[in-house]
Amino acid sequence: MQKYSIFNLIKNAFSNHINWDLAWKDPTPKKEYDVVIIGGGGHGLATAYYLAKEHNITNVAIIEKGWIGGGNVGRNTTIIRSNYMHDDNALFSEFGMDLWRKMSQDLNYNVMFSPRGIINLAHSDAQMNVYARRGNSMRLNGIDAVLLNREQVKEVIPMADFSDNVRFPIFGGLMQPSAGTARHDAVAWGYARQADSMGVDIIQNCEVTGFDLEGGKINGVRTSRGNIKVKKIGLCVAGSTNILAEKLNMTLPVETHLLQACVSEPVKPVLDKVVTFGAGHFYISQSDKGEMVMGGDLDGYNSYAQRGNLPTLQHVLTEGIAMMPFLSKLKMLRTWGGIMDMSMDGSPIIDKTHIEGLYLNCGWCYGGFKATPASGWTFAHTIAQDRVHKLNAGYSLNRFNTGHLLDEKGLGTKTWIS
Amino acid sequence: MTQNFRLKNIGLIDRNKKLTFKFNGKSYYGYKGDTLASALLANGIHLIGRSFKYHRPRGFFGAGVDEPYAIVQLYRNGETEPNIKATEQELFEGLEATSVNCWPSVNFDIGAINNLLKMFLPAGFYYKTFMWPKSFWYKVYEPFIRKAAGLGVASTRHDKERYEHKYEYCDLLIAGSGPSGLASAYAAAKNGARVILAEDKSRFGGTLLTSEVKIGNKSGKEWADGIISELNEMPNVVVKNRSQVFGYYDHNMLVMSEKVSDHLPKTKKFHPKQRLWYIRAKEVLISSGSIERPLVFGNNDTPGVMLSSAAKEYLKIYGVLVGRKPLIFTNNDSGYETAIEFKKNDIHSVVLDTRKDPHSEIIDEAKNLGIDIKNSYVVVAAQGYKKVKSADIAKISDDKTKLGSIENIICDCICVSGFWTPTIHLASQSGNKTKFNEDIDAFVPGISKQNEKTLGAANGVYNLDETLKSSFETGYELSKKITNNDNKVSFPNVIEKKSSTHDKFWCVPLPKGKNYKRFLDFQNDVAVSDVEIALKEGYRSIEHVKRYTTLGMATDQGKTSNLNGLQLVSSIENKIVPEVGHTTFRPPYTPVSIGVIVGREVGKHSKPTRKSPMHSWHEKNNAVFVDAGVWLRPRYYNQGNENLFEGSKREAKNVRTNVGVCDVTTLGKIDIKGPDAAELLNRIYTNAWLKLPIGKARYGVMLREDGIVMDDGTTTRISENHYHMTTTTAQAANVLSHLEYYLQLVWPELNVNVVSTTEQWAGAAIAGPKSRDLLQKLFPNSDVSNDGLPFMGYMEGDLFGIKARIFRISFSGELAYEVNVESDNGNFMWEKIIEVGQEFKIQPYGTEALSTLRIEMGHVAGSELDGRTIPYDNSLEGLLSKKKDFIGKRSLTREAFIAEDRQKVVGVVPLDKKTSIPEGSYLVKDSNAPLPNPKLGYISASCWSVEYDNPFSLAILKDGKNMIGEKLFVMSPLKNKVIPVEIVSSHYVDPKGERVRS
Amino acid sequence: MLHIKCPHCGMRSQNEFSYGGDASVKRPKLNQEISDQDWDNFVYNRKSLRGKHLELWHHLSGCRQWIKVERDTSTHEIFRTMKANEDNS
Repeated sequence: MQKYSIFNLIKNAFSNHINWDLAWKDPTPKKEYDVVIIGGGGHGLATAYYLAKEHNITNVAIIEKGWIGGGNVGRNTTIIRSNYMHDDNALFSEFGMDLWRKMSQDLNYNVMFSPRGIINLAHSDAQMNVYARRGNSMRLNGIDAVLLNREQVKEVIPMADFSDNVRFPIFGGLMQPSAGTARHDAVAWGYARQADSMGVDIIQNCEVTGFDLEGGKINGVRTSRGNIKVKKIGLCVAGSTNILAEKLNMTLPVETHLLQACVSEPVKPVLDKVVTFGAGHFYISQSDKGEMVMGGDLDGYNSYAQRGNLPTLQHVLTEGIAMMPFLSKLKMLRTWGGIMDMSMDGSPIIDKTHIEGLYLNCGWCYGGFKATPASGWTFAHTIAQDRVHKLNAGYSLNRFNTGHLLDEKGLGTKTWIS
Repeated sequence: MTQNFRLKNIGLIDRNKKLTFKFNGKSYYGYKGDTLASALLANGIHLIGRSFKYHRPRGFFGAGVDEPYAIVQLYRNGETEPNIKATEQELFEGLEATSVNCWPSVNFDIGAINNLLKMFLPAGFYYKTFMWPKSFWYKVYEPFIRKAAGLGVASTRHDKERYEHKYEYCDLLIAGSGPSGLASAYAAAKNGARVILAEDKSRFGGTLLTSEVKIGNKSGKEWADGIISELNEMPNVVVKNRSQVFGYYDHNMLVMSEKVSDHLPKTKKFHPKQRLWYIRAKEVLISSGSIERPLVFGNNDTPGVMLSSAAKEYLKIYGVLVGRKPLIFTNNDSGYETAIEFKKNDIHSVVLDTRKDPHSEIIDEAKNLGIDIKNSYVVVAAQGYKKVKSADIAKISDDKTKLGSIENIICDCICVSGFWTPTIHLASQSGNKTKFNEDIDAFVPGISKQNEKTLGAANGVYNLDETLKSSFETGYELSKKITNNDNKVSFPNVIEKKSSTHDKFWCVPLPKGKNYKRFLDFQNDVAVSDVEIALKEGYRSIEHVKRYTTLGMATDQGKTSNLNGLQLVSSIENKIVPEVGHTTFRPPYTPVSIGVIVGREVGKHSKPTRKSPMHSWHEKNNAVFVDAGVWLRPRYYNQGNENLFEGSKREAKNVRTNVGVCDVTTLGKIDIKGPDAAELLNRIYTNAWLKLPIGKARYGVMLREDGIVMDDGTTTRISENHYHMTTTTAQAANVLSHLEYYLQLVWPELNVNVVSTTEQWAGAAIAGPKSRDLLQKLFPNSDVSNDGLPFMGYMEGDLFGIKARIFRISFSGELAYEVNVESDNGNFMWEKIIEVGQEFKIQPYGTEALSTLRIEMGHVAGSELDGRTIPYDNSLEGLLSKKKDFIGKRSLTREAFIAEDRQKVVGVVPLDKKTSIPEGSYLVKDSNAPLPNPKLGYISASCWSVEYDNPFSLAILKDGKNMIGEKLFVMSPLKNKVIPVEIVSSHYVDPKGERVRS
Repeated sequence: MLHIKCPHCGMRSQNEFSYGGDASVKRPKLNQEISDQDWDNFVYNRKSLRGKHLELWHHLSGCRQWIKVERDTSTHEIFRTMKANEDNS
């Protein structure tokens, strides 16, 4: 495989860049694979990559209904963090942070991981205590966290509202300095390119139409491009989880919801942190291009439409202006929607299932992007070894039966309340 | 500066009103009715800014919303706004604007070095480099890139402008006031329909303002003016200019932004800057017209290259010449119309037509006027850096692959026309699956998804006669359907010149040995070669192409580039355009200010503020308030120079020794009535409710179905079938919805009604050993003795002539009562309590003292009932009835919930009895253990015990029931604290609960 | 913004309502012996499919009635609305 580097970039400039290799090929599906990953999103691509890299399993196909990276990996607000309270979430995410830090070099693709830090703002002493609980848990888990008072927050983000004309004044905030952002498309493409180079078949425009089971075991998958024999299938389809579960006669603790995000027109650098509002649900960062990338609440009803409605955005942007009044004069440039697989405790599922050879990766709610490397790594382990790794042991499917819930927000099963 | 490029006898501007303005610090003048763009062009200014990536010079390309280049920083009334399109900004007196994305100046821009390096900066170059050394991306490369990117500068000052919202319903919303919009609006309005007609520009009429047609015996403009003035007089019609319908949402809800004051030097008092209209329309007519497509050739981004329709608009509307030696490059008849208008004003242009031998009335007219026409000719490249100086042109072979010898022709502008792209955004947003029309090489709306129809040029119909006919007809038919009226207006006679078919050719091949950039997306600097690279590297889906190259992702959202991008991919991939697909359009059609989307809910009004009837008393008595959800509650009442700790300690101490009064109005209150009320409570709460006597209250806990505690509170039986429920402040709304859910959906057979009475009652908690004495003085006619009103008893009383409810309930753990009166009497009640309480040394107490009192008593509250704990965790398992079923009971048998070492609430006291324990800290066995250090529990609430005068905390601790007496460490790494502690009972004060019964 | 016909009040905008989830989920009867699986199906497991979806909405800022709405989850089209006690079929 051609190496991406400044030297090769210069070299190729003299041939007008026409000699670059394909980033990934476009193969026709084979009759049989060792493992089929359904879903060519970030998690599916990462899983295939780690199957090849960590477990030497390369007879793998990724089956994608549309085009790779077209789902939530290309529709998120690119935030990467491990500021979780529950140990299972925190240790899993922090493992992921290590993978993020070396991802560009590992994939030889600049994913632009930028540890600019995230601040969760608090607007009362009670909320400061809630964040202290989270931050102390992080610290005891070996994750960086700093509790900032009002003055310290003001030093870092002076453009937030520190005036008197404010409904919920800023009391302080919890900062994870090592958190940040990355270039979302590059993550999908970088994983795809490496997986492809190690022999993984990336098959786009290929829809799963059914599954072949024999004696309760996976024996194959039927697709719009033919039937494939395979003993192990990894399901990695985020917002389409419920649809494929139906084909497998499974009902899961997951609902499908719509989350919108938007960007402003680009402006010169003004905000170099990721910031979340504490008196509502709003988060913001500024992309390298200069756009303010903003998101917040779910639209609030089951949906497969990648189109949202304005009241939700209005509500989200209201909180945006409450937090940073200067946003008022910026213009909203683009809005889009993503389809979330909302689990019933807000945490994901990476597990085996009652069907032998069927592995499940779903329930990422808002948090799928940051989890991409750790999800791929642990899911690959679970598939290759046919057992969960200790990092994803907490993400079991039967925790809803046993009561070992991982509810970071304490909202319970009403996933539409965000 | 004289306006060298302004003509004298043409245009719609008001020459009596001269306006001065500044661009990049230099003064110019224009006229009322100008845009900033037309005024600059009148002054011969073509260099406006620099492009995003290569910092190439940028001028004007269009004359409206489609403009990709002419973006400025605007200064108005002492404030600044980034990224204003000069083509959309109307000129006002004193306007100031500067170029963006250039340093030190637009004329000499250091960033232009990127243009020299462009061979090293192809599509996606940043994915291939900047990776070494590892830390350099964040520390070196990225800050550099961030600084170079972005367009204008965002002011971080607060926006002082006001924005409003308006909700409107109508029969027909018509988006666009061109020929189809006017005709359909007129026909529908005359037939009695309620019509809203929206136009994004300041002038109505669209293309009628610049086209040479006759409608009846009037010019296009005269006809448009006539229609508008008639519509303006009709009561059933709203006509709005400067109003962009930018979003088409579900169920025929459309959103429009009206620029009320942006064209004025400052916003008038009490006026908004902009207004957002939410419009629910029965029918929507999309008459948004079309946008001219660029032709693609070398250096086609040079200032002076612009759309031929824009050149015509500058000439006919603003009386401005975009050049004196125009070169017109076209693949259809539109370019000729521009040439003819130039010629009428004594400007001689040369027309290059890609077609070999086209014939039409328009071309004949051009020929008759003596315009120089070159057929089968193309522009190979524009020459000139900051302004077009000449053009390299050549003959092109019939198959459009081979160029003849290059000739150079002197010109000062190049007006291009690559035919027209319908503006289908609103139709696409509505869910309409658009279809490709090969006749016009563009997408048009397909089958309607909602109640929308697209008319005229937006529907790919480019002839006026047909447009007007179908628009009149549609306006009439739709209005008839809604109003049942049958008033049809007569259809005028239309005279227009016929045009011939366009040439599908749009992208000029590179001449041998030349490597000109041929731009598709002018703002993001995406060239033909970038798309070729993306495809070569396997980014073949149009979405991959778009994301890899950033094609169509600039602030013009690809209005002039999307279709050419698709055509390019389709020709390279050898697929037809619809197979390549196209991007689905999402709102907004054009960028909309965040301020107008948000409206008035800013500053203190970003969320409602709820205040109790006693709020002003609290204010007058130095209350320091705290937000409790949207309520404001006194946290403590400041005396002298007390801080929170001192004040709340004094207040709590006074409750323990004398008597205190606390405003508890914010607690949720629900009135429950009906013969099955007890049965409802019995199912909702975990404990038994069927035998509660009249006049008695009971504490209850309710669960969610997943077994987690949802809320707690007391409910009192007022009379046989009447109960009064209280909830926590935070859960009040949820509990009411919860009750309604079960009553209406699960147990409709229960005859019960519930209603919120939170706002109907003002509440005061009177707590402390002297509270009974005080109560007796407040209610001299009631027997409030321990027998007359025992613990958990209830009675009604007369408070100086006012009806009151008296509950003997306690959250503080002291002898305590809660008095409720109707809200209007709340302040009266409060003042009486304070007045009468003086002899008992009464003091008001706030939420902080309330917290202290409940914590040292071991009463759980929000910080323990955090949506993650079950009754056992809160030592509430005694309230779980074994005899009956209740909401959530089935979930309590889950493995984790019945584990032997399940977490439980405990008390925590520091060994030194001095060190305060921060809330949110954790309990660990070994404070020096390596990370991750296993956490045994967390501190949920802390106080300074006024009873024992030492710190005390509540914690939720693993295996809490067996941990009493254990010595552990509290750790707060955030605050650098390690505190040795002892685990004690959570009931730190009065563990037997004798005081409340005394 | 959705436009929902409350069977009690008429056409109202979505912002008067709050969403209540899948209306086909039935709470098991009180005191009923029930398997873990059935209970989990009630509390946690949801089909949440694409297409027609019968769901609950609460007319919170209106008549405060819970209503049933049949809506398409991919297009958001509403086919019909019903009172709480009306039959789903």
